[in-house]
Formats: sequence, structure tokens, C-alpha cells
Amino acid sequence: MSSSRDAETLAAEALTLKGVSKRFRGQRALESVQLHVRAGEVHALLGVNGSGKSTLIKILAGYHAPEHGASAQLHGRGFTLGSAAAAAEGGLRFVHQDLGLIASLTVAENLTLGVGHGSLIWTSKRQDRRVAGKLLKELSLDIDPGLHVRQLSTAHQTMVAIVRALRGTVDKRTILVLDEPTAALPAHEVQQVFDIVRRIRRAGGSVIYVTHRLAEVQALCDRVTVLRDGQHIATREVAALTHDELVELVIGRALENLGQTQHQSSATTPVLGVETLSGDTVRDFSLTVGAGETVGITGLVGSGYEEVSGLIFGSRRRTGGEVRLAGAMIRGNSPREAIRAGIAFTPADRKGGGGMMGWTLRENLTLPRLVAAGPLRWMSPRNERLEARGWLERLEVRPLDPEASFSSLSGGNQQKVVLARWLRCNARVFIFDQPTVGVDLGARRGIYRSMAEVARSGAAVLMSSSEAEELCEVCDRVVVMRRGGVGAVLEGSELTAERVVAEGLVVA
Amino acid sequence: MSGYQTDAARIQERGQRRAKQGLSRWAGRLGLSRFSGLYIWAGFILLFGILTPDTFLTSKTLTSVGSEQAITGILAIGVLFPLSAGVFDLSAAQNLGLAAVGSGWLMSQVHVSPLLAIALTLGFGALIGTANGFLVTIIGVNSFITTLGMTSVLLAIAEGIANGNYFGPFPNSFSNLTSGSPLGIPIVVIYLFVAAGVAWYVLEHTPVGRRLHACGANKEAARLTGVPTRRYIFLSFVACGVIASASGVLLSSQLGSVSQTIGPSYLLPAYAACFLGTTQLKPERFNVWGTMIALYLLATGVEGLQLVGAQLWVTDLFNGAALIGAVSIAVVSERRRAHVETAAPEPSESEVAKLEKPRTESTPVLPNQSRREESKDAVERETSTR
Repeated sequence: MSSSRDAETLAAEALTLKGVSKRFRGQRALESVQLHVRAGEVHALLGVNGSGKSTLIKILAGYHAPEHGASAQLHGRGFTLGSAAAAAEGGLRFVHQDLGLIASLTVAENLTLGVGHGSLIWTSKRQDRRVAGKLLKELSLDIDPGLHVRQLSTAHQTMVAIVRALRGTVDKRTILVLDEPTAALPAHEVQQVFDIVRRIRRAGGSVIYVTHRLAEVQALCDRVTVLRDGQHIATREVAALTHDELVELVIGRALENLGQTQHQSSATTPVLGVETLSGDTVRDFSLTVGAGETVGITGLVGSGYEEVSGLIFGSRRRTGGEVRLAGAMIRGNSPREAIRAGIAFTPADRKGGGGMMGWTLRENLTLPRLVAAGPLRWMSPRNERLEARGWLERLEVRPLDPEASFSSLSGGNQQKVVLARWLRCNARVFIFDQPTVGVDLGARRGIYRSMAEVARSGAAVLMSSSEAEELCEVCDRVVVMRRGGVGAVLEGSELTAERVVAEGLVVA
Repeated sequence: MSGYQTDAARIQERGQRRAKQGLSRWAGRLGLSRFSGLYIWAGFILLFGILTPDTFLTSKTLTSVGSEQAITGILAIGVLFPLSAGVFDLSAAQNLGLAAVGSGWLMSQVHVSPLLAIALTLGFGALIGTANGFLVTIIGVNSFITTLGMTSVLLAIAEGIANGNYFGPFPNSFSNLTSGSPLGIPIVVIYLFVAAGVAWYVLEHTPVGRRLHACGANKEAARLTGVPTRRYIFLSFVACGVIASASGVLLSSQLGSVSQTIGPSYLLPAYAACFLGTTQLKPERFNVWGTMIALYLLATGVEGLQLVGAQLWVTDLFNGAALIGAVSIAVVSERRRAHVETAAPEPSESEVAKLEKPRTESTPVLPNQSRREESKDAVERETSTR
């Protein structure tokens, strides 16, 4: 098929959008944006969070209506924006970030849900399975339709969601919109999603691939449209762009060198000591982190790298080993003891574990160490507010209002409040559990900066991440885990992204 | 469209906007959302005062509403502890029932002294709370199911003890517990307000209370900030158990004669007060004084309706409708707040946002509707300032 993609089909536009604008409460979300997707191409829609990607996709899906002046064409015919029925009719298919699968049902049930069965009264499992098997086969996927969705890997779940969106048919009319399909995927599963996207392209379909990961754009996509601040910045052939040029398009300026971490010698005084730690899949993990040092932990999914930080902090159950802080052993096995000893922890799931969404900044800030006066333990709201304001000022949180609700803050500001909370507790060890998952380029820089500041103040910083490039930029030393233990420790000139990935793949 | 027409339309729209702003400003000044219960309460008093001035506006009504609700109020305060920690204790009402029957049985059948009877009853209340806490925090059973089951167990115990009999009369020293009225205020009302004061202090102004609320707000986040969540949830059940049985003892003393059927009818009014309380004073939080306002608001409504001549079933209808209504209001206002927050990227960013915000807080508008109107307003504003 790919060889038959001659000049004519290449030039044919599957989807054309012009002059799409949208405002929310007077705020500009999109300003006269255009999008040209050719038939049979994988077209990246790239931009940081808040650049207008999702608004554009929602308009395409018919969830929002654009303002007056927008025009759209699907396969050369006029097309009404803002209507879900028209979008479906025209061959647009959507897979949203949360996939929308029902985890407790089987693959077959998920795929046949809402399509209608042979009979109205009796739903036949066997028939469901047969239909589902056929749908999966169309995209030559080897997934057992009888499995429950929650038993599948995230990559396979994504594929099921894609199959469901496509309903088995891929033809020249198909335009599949994938909204950040790899956001929740571990690195080695990303390739599987790439494969299915390529298969759809080979079958003649077009794909709009929404992402903020540059590497994926370069690996997978034919052309890229970059949005910034609700405006169309550029549409280019990916092959004609270098990585740096792409970065510049996305953030509007050249990326300053993040790797300015002063590589201190690892002979600093050890602050955090972990000895033969075991629990979950982790076995006999040992590590020392010195004052002012930033150490990264990574590995493949299942190597235990995601669990180490929770085990050190005590939020996961330790079955063996010990954690020492400046030589003193931390007794007990709970976050409470770890916090008392001086360990701070920012969880990977910020919504679920970071802060109390409905609470004020003041309450979020003071929770780990509540100051009460007198034998009656009275907490004065006024003193609390005063202290909270001081911290908010120090970390430049916006809005600077102790009584603002935590949920009303942007992600970056929420992160600052969580950081302030731990600085207030005089933490000496900061554990960042996958701090940049689902965070856009701009906000990442903020997180790296605060990590660097914490380290500069003499604390030990521990960070887990699945992204090799990020670890190489931020960390002094990176521990690559294999099968629950330390596989390799990289530092200095050895610390390169290629090496980190390679060490993770070594079969021990 | 001619210039004249657009101008006219603009002036008209501006007028409407100003009127709405005026309204919302007044609403804000009166604290209509946070204190709405007080206004509705005043409305009830005014309404029933006009309808039946002879019977409603009397000191007898005041004391009867006050003392009748005191027991329910103390039970509601007990229930606030687990609710704040994010768990239900549905067994609290039957705990009250069992305590009433149990203390009566101890005094009239076993012939123990009132003091010992009270101590044993409260101890048993603590035991019930411990059992609930153990099942929920150690075994890991859902609190709703645990305490629902516990209700039935306690009912069985009460029935086993009473066996269809009434207990009473009780020694004078026991009845005197609830019969005085210093300064003309029924003593049970004083008990209630002392209990409310202590609960307010503990729940809203001590580290213990803050951590308890943290368990309810987000258990996992609370644990990760060092709150021993299981311990706090456990203790909230024990506190509820003791307070519920204390209210049962007071009820037994107040009635002078108790049967096994007491109990279940207290469940709904107590929960209605707690949930309606979350719409008052500290929105979206369980809070003591909000609960008190809700309690007396509901009681006044019921009393008034009865005096006007409504049937007895009105009480149940009124409380049930109030519970559902209160929770609906809480859910809707939370959703609307979440919507306002996500839709407005940066508060204090523009003049528009400042002007529009009070309106969305005071008048319910459909999400889509408000957004479209506001974007239009914003365009208007920009063109008119130029």
C-alpha cells in the first residue's frame, strides 16, 4: 500500500480546517487556527499544555462549537464543526487520553458495547467474542477477546480503545484522532502503539497524533502542526526539522541548556542511606545519596524502579532492609516516621496523593506539621494564615492567597505548594516519584528548577523516572534497576541516555 | 443592523448586567450562600408566626423544639466524627436505641445504681465503636456495610433484652439528669450546646480535628503527609459510639420509660442535619455549627407544619426531602465551583473575570449557557472600551 501512495493521494487533503477560533470566559483558547491533514499521513498536533490542542480536538469531535468564521472540509466536502454526528459520519474517529474502556469487562464486551447485538434480549458471549475477534484481526492484533481489560498491559488497552474507535474498518475516509496515546505508557510499550498507527496509515487511513513528546513526532509522524498560545505556529514536514528546531517551534525560544547541574563529587556527606531494602518486587536494594546530590532511579516496567521511592518513604510495605537518615535509622515503616525523620515525598499521582483538592492552600501547607498552642492544642487560624502567606511568597505561588482553593491552582503552582509544605518541615531528603509524568515542557522546567534549588540548599534529592533524557539532564547519578535490584550505576561521562536505556535492557 | 439598534441593545444588556451585579452584590453582602439556613429559618418563623401566631410564637414551642431536638443534636454531633473522617456510622441511631433500653434494663431489672448503669452503657457504646473501627480499618470492610450490619446486631440485642417489655420508671436521680431548666433553658439544650462547643473545638481548631478532616478529604494524600489514617478513622468510630450511647442515656432519662423500638427513627434526622450542615458556614465541609443550624431549621419547619395541622407523616417527609435536597445542593454547588475554577484560567486576570465571578456564584446557570453569555459580554466590553 505504501508504495502506491503516489503524488496524487499525497496531495489530497483528508481534513481542512480554517479560521477556527474559540474563547472561554473572554480568554482566548484558539485564534484563527488552521489544520491541513493529508490523506494517508500521520499528522502530529504538537504543543505544550494550554496551547489549544485539546480545544481543537474537542471542536473536531463536536464537543465545542467554534466561533463564527470557521470553515471545515472533510475529503473535499463541506463539514459542520461542532456536531458529533457529523464528525462520526465523516469518518472521524477519536481515542481520548483516558481511553474510556471499562476495566471490569472483557475485551469482547468492551468492543461490542453499544454496537447492538444479534438479539435484543439475549446477549451471547460467544457471539460477542466472535465479533470482537474479527475486529481485532482486522488490525492483526493478537489479543485474547476473553481477557478482562484490567488484565491487559496499558499498550494493549490503548490498542483495544483504538479498535473500538475504528470499529474494524480502516479505509481512505478514516481519520483517527489519538489524544496523547502514549502519556501513560512505559517506554518499551510505546513501540507497540507506533506499530498500530503505522498499520492504519498503510491501510490508507489518516491519523492525527496529539502529543507533547518531540521524540514521538520524529519517530512516527510525517508532518507536524505546532500550536502555541492558541495560535497556529507552523505546519512542516517532520523530516525537514531537527530536534532543536522543533523545540524552538514549540516553546517559542531556544531551549537553554538544562544540564547546568554542577556535577559535584560524590564524596559529599551521605544524607540518605538505604541498605538491602526489600518489598514488593524490590530485592536487596542499596543506595546512598549525599547532601546536594540528585540521584535518579530508572529501569523497565517491572524492574521495581517505580516502587523504590515508596518503599524508602514507607508508603509501601518494607519486608526487609533499613533506611538511614544522616546515619540514624528510621524506625517503623510508615510515612509518619519518615516525615518525622526529615523525608519529603511527592507522589506520582498528584491528583490522588499530592494535595487536598478542596482544601485551601493554608490547610494543604500546614498539614504535615500542625502548630498548636497551649495544653488545649488550639490552632489559631490567624497565625496559620500568616505563616502560610510567608511560604507562598517565598515560593512565588500565584495566586498569593492562603485561602485560595488548591484545586484552583495550575499544576505548576500546586507543585510549588507541595514543595513549600516540605520545606516548612525542614526535610533533608526529597523524593520525587515520577515528577514529570503528564507534565508539559514548560512546567517541567519549573520542576527541574525547584529540584535543583532544593539540592543546592544541601538536601539529598531522589527522583524516579522512565525518561532517560530527563534523568541525564537532571541527575548527578542514575541507578538503573533490573529485576528488583541495582543493575548499573551511571555517572559522569557514562551517563548518557543511550547507556541508561541499554543498561535497562541487559538481561541479567 | 443599524447603529441605533446595537446601541439600544447594548444599553439594555448593560442594564440587565448591572441589575444582576447588584443582586449578586447584595447576595454577597448578606452571605446568602453560607448563611442561607439562617434566612430560611427566619422565614419559617415568620411564616408560621403569621399562620398560627397563638400557638407557634410561644415559649412553650421554643422549649419543646429545643429539648426535643437536643437528643438528635447530640447524636448528630457524634455522627460528625466519622463523617468528617470520610466514613459512615449508620449504627449510631441503633446504638442510641440500645443505650436507652440497656440503661433502663440495668436499672429496673438488674437493679444497679444509675451511675454504674450509665458507665456500663457508655462502655458498651465504646465497645460498639471499637468493633466498627476494627471491622472498617483492620479487616477493611466498607463502613456503610459494616455499620448497616451492626445496626441489625444491636437491634437484636435490644430486642433480646427488652423482649417486648417497657422499662421504667427510673430512680429520681436518673430522671433529674434531664429535668432541670436553669435560667429557663431546658438542661438538655445546655448539654447539646456544651457538646457542640467541645466538638467544634476539637474538630475545627485542633490538629486532631484537622487530621480527621484530612482522612475524609483524601485518605491517600493524608497518609502520604504523615496522618495515621487508620488510627484516626478507628477513633472516630469510638467517639461516635460513646456519644451515641450518651445520647441514648439522656433519652432514657428524658422519657422515663423505654421500649425496644426506640432508635431507628433518630437516624435520618441526625444525618439530615449533618448533610444540610455542609451547605452552611463552611461550605462542602462537615461542621458543627452548620449542623446545629440545620438541626433547628428542620425542627422548626416540622413543628410549624404540625401546628398548622399537618399529619404526623409530614415529619418523615420533611426530613427525607431535606436530606436529599441538601446533598443535591452540595453536589451541584461543588460541580459548579469546579467548573468555574477550570473555566477561568487565571483569577484576577481580567476585569471581566472579576465582574462575572459573583454572578456565577449566586445564580445557577447551565455551564454552556453561562460560558456563551460571558464570552459575548467580554467581546462587548472590549469593543465598548475602545
